[in-house]
Amino acid sequence: MMLRSLLRSWNTFFFEKQSPTPIALFRIAYGVLVIATLLLLRPDWLTWYGTHAWISLRTMQTIEPGRRLDLFTIIPQTDGWIDALFWGVLSSAILLTLGLFTRINSVIVFVCLASIQQRNLFITNSGDTFLRVTGFFLIFAPAGATLSLDRLTRIWRGKEDVLIRPQSPWAQRMIQIELALLYFAAFCWKVKGPLWLHGTALYYVYHLDAIKRFPVTSWLLRPTMLKLGSWSALTLEFSLGVLIWIKKLRYILLALGLLFHLCLEYSLNVPMFQWDVLSAYILFVDPAHITRASNWIRRRVFASEINR
Amino acid sequence: MKTRYNLANHANFEMKKKAYWHRLLTQFGSRELSKAQIFWRQRAKRIAINLFLGFHILAITCWCVPLDTPLFSLGKNLVRPYFLWAGLFQSWDMFAPTPALANSYVEAIVVYKDGSRRTWSFPRMEQLSLSDRYFRERYRKFSENLQNDQNDALWPDVARRIARANSTPSNPAKTVILVQRWSPIVPRADGSYQPEPWDQHVLYGYGVKREDLQ
Repeated sequence: MMLRSLLRSWNTFFFEKQSPTPIALFRIAYGVLVIATLLLLRPDWLTWYGTHAWISLRTMQTIEPGRRLDLFTIIPQTDGWIDALFWGVLSSAILLTLGLFTRINSVIVFVCLASIQQRNLFITNSGDTFLRVTGFFLIFAPAGATLSLDRLTRIWRGKEDVLIRPQSPWAQRMIQIELALLYFAAFCWKVKGPLWLHGTALYYVYHLDAIKRFPVTSWLLRPTMLKLGSWSALTLEFSLGVLIWIKKLRYILLALGLLFHLCLEYSLNVPMFQWDVLSAYILFVDPAHITRASNWIRRRVFASEINR
Repeated sequence: MKTRYNLANHANFEMKKKAYWHRLLTQFGSRELSKAQIFWRQRAKRIAINLFLGFHILAITCWCVPLDTPLFSLGKNLVRPYFLWAGLFQSWDMFAPTPALANSYVEAIVVYKDGSRRTWSFPRMEQLSLSDRYFRERYRKFSENLQNDQNDALWPDVARRIARANSTPSNPAKTVILVQRWSPIVPRADGSYQPEPWDQHVLYGYGVKREDLQ
C-alpha cells in the first residue's frame, strides 16, 4: 500500500504534465548567464585555453587522467580553432536564449561548457559547476516549448495552436533536485567545520581581502552579528535543501534565499555564482503564479499605454 | 488573391512533403503502429526515464553529500568514471569545512641572465577596480589553487609562462621562483581586525630552458 502511494507520488512529481513556462524562463536566464560568463572571460580566452595557456593541455591531462567529454582534445591545437570554439558556444548560447533550435543548442552549450571547464579545472568556480550540471538536464527539458522562436515557427507552420501544451516536467525536477542538493551539500560541508558550528567562520570570510566587494558596515562585523550570520547561513542552507519541498514554506524560503544571495553579491566578489543559483529559483514558482504575474504586468503595461 | 494563392501553394507543398516522407519511411520498412505497440513504446520510454532519474538522483547524492559512510563511498567510486566523463562531477564546499584562515597571494621572482631581478605578481583583486575584479576573478581562483601543494604539477607550466612573458631577446629569464605570501587572519575578542605581518614561503624554483621562451 505504502509502496503504491510512493509510486503514485513519484509519478505525479516527475510526470504530471504542467505548463513549460518555468523551464522556458529558466532557459532564457540560463542562456543570458552563459553569455555573461563567456563575455567576462572574453579577454582571457586564449590566456587560459590557448596554445600558450597557463596550463598546457598535456599537463591538464596528466593531472586529470581518464576519458573526458572534452572538445579541446579533438580540435586542432591552434589559437584560431580555440577562438572559433568560443565564438561557436557564444552563438549557441544566444540561440538557446532566443529558443531557436533549442534542443540542439542546449546540447552544444552543455558539451562546450563541459569542455571549457575540463580544459582548465583550476579556474572553475561553483557558478561554472552549477551551469554545467544544470545544462546537462536542460538538454532533456521541453525548454523551447514556449517563449521561443521554435514555438513561433511551429505556430506559423500550423503544427501548434496558440494554447501552450502542458509537458512532463521530469527534467525540470532534476534541476530543482540539483539546486536543493547544492544547498544540502553546502550545509553538510559546513557542519563538518568547527568554525561554522562555533559561529566564527564568517569573521574569516569577511576579512579575506581578495573576495571583498563593497564595504560592510562595522556593526555587522561584530562577533555577535557574525555568529548570528554564520548560524543563519547554516539554517538557511539546510532549509533550502530540505524544507523547500514543503509547498507552504516554499515562497518564504525563496524570498529568504534571494535576500541571502543578494547580500553575498553585495559583499563578496564571486562573479556570477549568486545569479547562476538564483536563476533556478524560477523553477520552484508555480506556473499558475507566473501566468498571473505576467497577466498583471501585461495589464499594467497596456493600461499605461492607453493612458498615454 | 495573392494570399489565397500562397496558401494553396503552401498546402500543396505540405502534401507533397508528407507524401515524400511516407514513401521514404515505407522504403525503410516502417509502417503504421498499432495501439498496443504505441502503448508498449510509451511504457518502455517511461521505464527508461525512471531508470535515468533514479540513477542520477542516487549518483548525485552519493557524489556531492559529504557523508563518510561505506555506502556513499562505494556509490561515488562506482559513478566516478561516468561523472568525470560526462562532466557531472560537482562539489559544493564553498568556504567549508573551514574558510581560508589567511590572506595570501602568489608572486614570482624572475632572475635574468644579466643577474638582475624582477618581481611579478598575479593580479590581486584588492588592488583592482570593481569592473576589473569581475573580469579577472579567475586569476584569484587560479592563484588560490597554485598555493595548494597537491597541485604542484601546475608549477612548471606557470613558471614557463611567467618566464616567456617577462623575457626579452637581449635579456632572457634564467630562473623563476614562485613564492607564496600570506598574512594570517587573527580574530580578536572585540571583533576588530588588525592585519598581521606578511610571511613568505617558496613554492618552486624553475631553471628556464631556451625552448621555454619560444
